[in-house]
Amino acid sequence: MSLIVVGLSHHSSPVTFREKFAFKDEVIPHVLQKLKDEKLVEEAVILSTCNRVELYASSPGTNVGSACSALKDFLVRHHQYDGPVGDEIYSLSEPESLVHLFKVASGLDSMVLGETEILGQLKKSYETALHGKHTGIRLNKAFQRAFNVAKQIRTETNIQRGSISVGSVAVELAETIFSELNDRHVMVIGAGDTSEKTARALLSRGAKSIIVANRSFDRAASLAEQLGGRAVHFDEWCQEFKNIDIAISSTSAPHYVLDRQRLEPMMKLRNQRPLLLIDIAVPRDIDPDVNYLENVYLYNIDDLHAIADDYLKQRKEEIARCEEIIQSKVATLFPHQGSRPPAENGGLVFGEP
Amino acid sequence: MSFTDRQYFSFAVILYGLSVLYSIFLWRRGFREDNKVNYLLLLAAFLFHSAAMFKRGLSLQQCPVNNLYEATTFITWAMALIYLLFGAWPRISFIGAFASPVLFSIGVFALMPALDHHGPKPEFTGGWLSLHVALFALSYGAFGLSAVAGFMYLSQEHDLKMHRIKVVLSRLPPIQRLEVIMVRLVTLGFALLSLALLVSVVWLHSIELSPSPHFDPKLIWAVLVWLMGLALVCLRWVAHQSVRKFAWGTIGLFVFVALTFWGSSLISPTHNSGPRQVNTSEPSPRF
Repeated sequence: MSLIVVGLSHHSSPVTFREKFAFKDEVIPHVLQKLKDEKLVEEAVILSTCNRVELYASSPGTNVGSACSALKDFLVRHHQYDGPVGDEIYSLSEPESLVHLFKVASGLDSMVLGETEILGQLKKSYETALHGKHTGIRLNKAFQRAFNVAKQIRTETNIQRGSISVGSVAVELAETIFSELNDRHVMVIGAGDTSEKTARALLSRGAKSIIVANRSFDRAASLAEQLGGRAVHFDEWCQEFKNIDIAISSTSAPHYVLDRQRLEPMMKLRNQRPLLLIDIAVPRDIDPDVNYLENVYLYNIDDLHAIADDYLKQRKEEIARCEEIIQSKVATLFPHQGSRPPAENGGLVFGEP
Repeated sequence: MSFTDRQYFSFAVILYGLSVLYSIFLWRRGFREDNKVNYLLLLAAFLFHSAAMFKRGLSLQQCPVNNLYEATTFITWAMALIYLLFGAWPRISFIGAFASPVLFSIGVFALMPALDHHGPKPEFTGGWLSLHVALFALSYGAFGLSAVAGFMYLSQEHDLKMHRIKVVLSRLPPIQRLEVIMVRLVTLGFALLSLALLVSVVWLHSIELSPSPHFDPKLIWAVLVWLMGLALVCLRWVAHQSVRKFAWGTIGLFVFVALTFWGSSLISPTHNSGPRQVNTSEPSPRF
């Protein structure tokens, strides 16, 4: 009896294919029961997210190949898929299946490398199976170890460090400048989608208040209401500038809405307090010359992307360290299987029978 | 096995040196690594440093500040002490990576044999002397550490302005916190220096020295440092001087202290061991 994984992910198939195999949360307990009723598995966990659909199972027989094949057939049959199936659905046996589980838990197999959301989704899937008594010694041990490995990787490596979205990079920049974000006042100039996300990211890290200015006051009022802030008329945003600490600008103006000449007198009213300006508009809203003013820190969309890219590069550099941890944990989990090294292709065996 | 106080201090300097090497490693890694090792190295160095001063103090039966070696080790000790108190905070502890080169350099300088000159038995002993010296040493230590924070601020601020990504990737303290640390340390240093000068004036009035210490070069130097500290504090608190200029000011103040401390001590008759007449009819106050 060993752990096997059968499924499909963003690595093996496009979303048009994956969506046909997705399980809704409410049907998962029934599917798990069906798998047991059909005696395809002794233990099973189903993970179904936007990027992957995977069956983690412990099969009753000794023929791993036929167990994988049966589960693959089950997936096709359950979803009534009648198209051709090739390498899109992969299957893995130990030790590759364990390596895969640990990588998934640690975010190493995710589309956004190192993201942590998958760990929560994996825990939820496991709890669903545990609650329905669909797990046993094998899967319990494997999943508990996977959660421990994910924790270890999070604390001992930089795989999850840094932000790779514009909003999160803006938060990191703010944290490099300000001691605390708790008492910071934020202004959004131009209620675009990215500026909204950036403002939300700042609020989630404790920013105290938010002011929204937009050419359409109704849109400003609507966004301010959603964010729990205050709306001001577009021609009044300058008057609020002496009180704010962070400004996010994303208007569609064809010219600069803020230049050095305009900002300089406002800075004198601020008693040397730093001001972070985030210009995510194209064409730019803020004259780059304002960065020469003391206590003004201006970042445009390219600067933010450059930081995000560097974080991603840093995360990629950490993969080798993470894999070392995973290999050592797999070896200690089931030592008798440690003699067989994982496949060279990272454990992904596409289209196995 | 028993070590001499200088040997203990040498061990401390070696550990400060190791801390410098580890700081270079941290710097090469963009200050992304944990700084616990560096904090522990500086803590170990501080323990040896304290042992050296304690041993010297025991042998003299007084506060060990009778020559330039002892005064220098006292100032670096004060600096290390202030760092260890502040550095217990996460991220703030990175100040140690910037402070260790200063501690190491001054430590190596202090170890030069000519500085540890053994003159006649010290004429002044007791609580007043200890307080006088401790307050001065702590104030210079505070100025030293504020200069370190000032250097960190300027470096971080420059990187932020230039959009250097390493500033975001590093775990160095935010610039606003560095500003707070700088201002507090300069204010603390200035307050301690003011108190030190006050103690010195009270103490000097209780004993009669010949020649009169009122125009002693060291005293004039200390007043000059005090005026510089006053200017920094006033410009910041009253005139809201820019943080960048304040950071340069803290560095300038400590560089001035570091470059002129030994020279002013050497030309000061009061602070140089040698034949001196003391009227002991009035006993010096003790704590």
